[in-house]
Amino acid sequence: MSIKLDAIRECLEGVVPGNIATCAADGTPNVAYLSQVQYVDSEHVALSYQFFNTTRRNILASPYARVSVIDPHTGAQYRLSLRYLRTEDSGPLFENMKARLAGIASHTGMSGVFHLLGSDIYHVLDIEQVAGEPLPSPPPRRNLLAALRACTRSLCAAADLDDLLARLLDGLEIYFGIGHAMVLMLDEAGGHLFTLASRGYAVSGVGSEIALGSGVIGVAARERTPIRIGHFTAEYSYGRAIRNSLEQRGIAGIETEIPLPGLAASCSQLAVPILACERLIGMLYVESEQDLRFSYDDEDALVTLAGHLGAGIRLLQQLDVHDDVAIADVVPPPVSGAPVLVAHYAENDSVFLDGDYLIKGVAGAIFRVLVSDYVNKGQIRFSNRELRLDKRIRLPDLADNLEARLILLARRLIERDAPVRIEKCGRGRFTLKVSRELVLSERGGSRS
Amino acid sequence: MPLNAPPVLDLDNARFITGAVSINVAACRSGGFPALVRGLGCRLSADRSTVTLLLRESAAAEVLEAVRRNGLIAAVFSDPPTHRTLQLKGVDAMVLRPEAGDVELAAHYCDQFAAVLLPFGHEVPMVRAVLACRPDDLATVRFTPSSAFSQTPGPQAGEPLAGAR
Repeated sequence: MSIKLDAIRECLEGVVPGNIATCAADGTPNVAYLSQVQYVDSEHVALSYQFFNTTRRNILASPYARVSVIDPHTGAQYRLSLRYLRTEDSGPLFENMKARLAGIASHTGMSGVFHLLGSDIYHVLDIEQVAGEPLPSPPPRRNLLAALRACTRSLCAAADLDDLLARLLDGLEIYFGIGHAMVLMLDEAGGHLFTLASRGYAVSGVGSEIALGSGVIGVAARERTPIRIGHFTAEYSYGRAIRNSLEQRGIAGIETEIPLPGLAASCSQLAVPILACERLIGMLYVESEQDLRFSYDDEDALVTLAGHLGAGIRLLQQLDVHDDVAIADVVPPPVSGAPVLVAHYAENDSVFLDGDYLIKGVAGAIFRVLVSDYVNKGQIRFSNRELRLDKRIRLPDLADNLEARLILLARRLIERDAPVRIEKCGRGRFTLKVSRELVLSERGGSRS
Repeated sequence: MPLNAPPVLDLDNARFITGAVSINVAACRSGGFPALVRGLGCRLSADRSTVTLLLRESAAAEVLEAVRRNGLIAAVFSDPPTHRTLQLKGVDAMVLRPEAGDVELAAHYCDQFAAVLLPFGHEVPMVRAVLACRPDDLATVRFTPSSAFSQTPGPQAGEPLAGAR
């Protein structure tokens, strides 16, 4: 095969619809339009199986197909000789194609008509360029390898998780020109993701949750696969994700307190799992109001970047950086004003300050420990290490990222303009800054 | 097909396939291997019984070879704005030399189809790159449509047209 499939991936984006020719057992040819050609790897493509039509009948009888695709910039035409191998009707590839097809259907006015029954996987036997008069290729928008190198180099210098996330969001903006991004971490015990950092939205949405399987981020997380959509689709929009999250939980409770960040009319979406040693630890999500903003190459770059991110998160966690040197005594600021009622609900560790929702789950349990020790013992200095060993917090997993919870908590306190703040005072150490008197209240059950 | 049978194409479909629509043509090579090429225009006989497809010979070598061998052909016509799609099949296809006016027809088709695609963001030079053909590179295939199918996406896709066999 003289032309590599990798080299013509842009022709598979469906900007110009492709065609497929097949033959019936009696030799009768058939030709049809394709709504989707999916790059699987350097030797395989997948086509969407949506109806039991002549094409499908033919490939089941005789597995050879010819597909033509066109480069949307140069008009170069390529013909692929394919051999049908199998059909997948679940799993990462299927979910990826289903999400992309929803975008294509919406863009072409075919919502409700296009429905993915399966992903037909073909071996690419040969690729030929069809005689024609193609235009010269336009210069690339940017050099993604150079962007990746600069961004990963910046990540390597991160001192802690907070710094790592800031460097990531800066790097996406500076080197990749991506202005709308968020990082979500997996809460394995809760079966959901929570937003830890975001960039480019009116509200940060830190602490907002999304259930595995909901929307493009939730589906990509559940399937451990990147999903890239090139056109707006209501089916995978963030509004739908919110509704699904609520429906799956069967409640309309405190999750509504923190809205998910996200563009209301996102046209291009790319959700990339953050993996470390094959384990899902979170999701990187980027989006744009521009159609087809993210290419196969962007996907490759961000998958690689997410790999560095995952390794960085794990490495920082294992280093457990910790300043043992004595830290100058911190003088607690005087408290003033009316006392604040801190209500903690044991069932889900949700915390309310004067009736306003703050946080729940592991971060809620951490907050309860901090304010209890402050009120009962006057303690204002804490270390990550002691929290990690504190049995009152019940970290769900050794691998669970305590630092992520502390970042989440610190950001929520700032965003809620709470009279309690967490401030770092050295590696692996922080102080609690309380500006009003706290009154603790333990409540049974959960408030919703 | 009996000599006096009515044509498969009614007036509306005849206008459709000779308009500014996308054209793709398939044939079957020996061993059941399909061949595929893009059409560069289409004309009809006055009685609508035979269809002549314009092709770029250098791109259509396999299709032409298969047609010469077995006469089997399929051609699909689609209108991008409406997705209206029609497929014709024939068993008597023949490769013929272009006739007077075919070069002009191909040029006219290219201009018209480029105008249809412009609102979709496809620039004219890109469409020309796909459809432009040197006069000495033009070939034609003529066939009698023996069956016709609507392939407009939706529940009716794949159904034979009324009156078609």
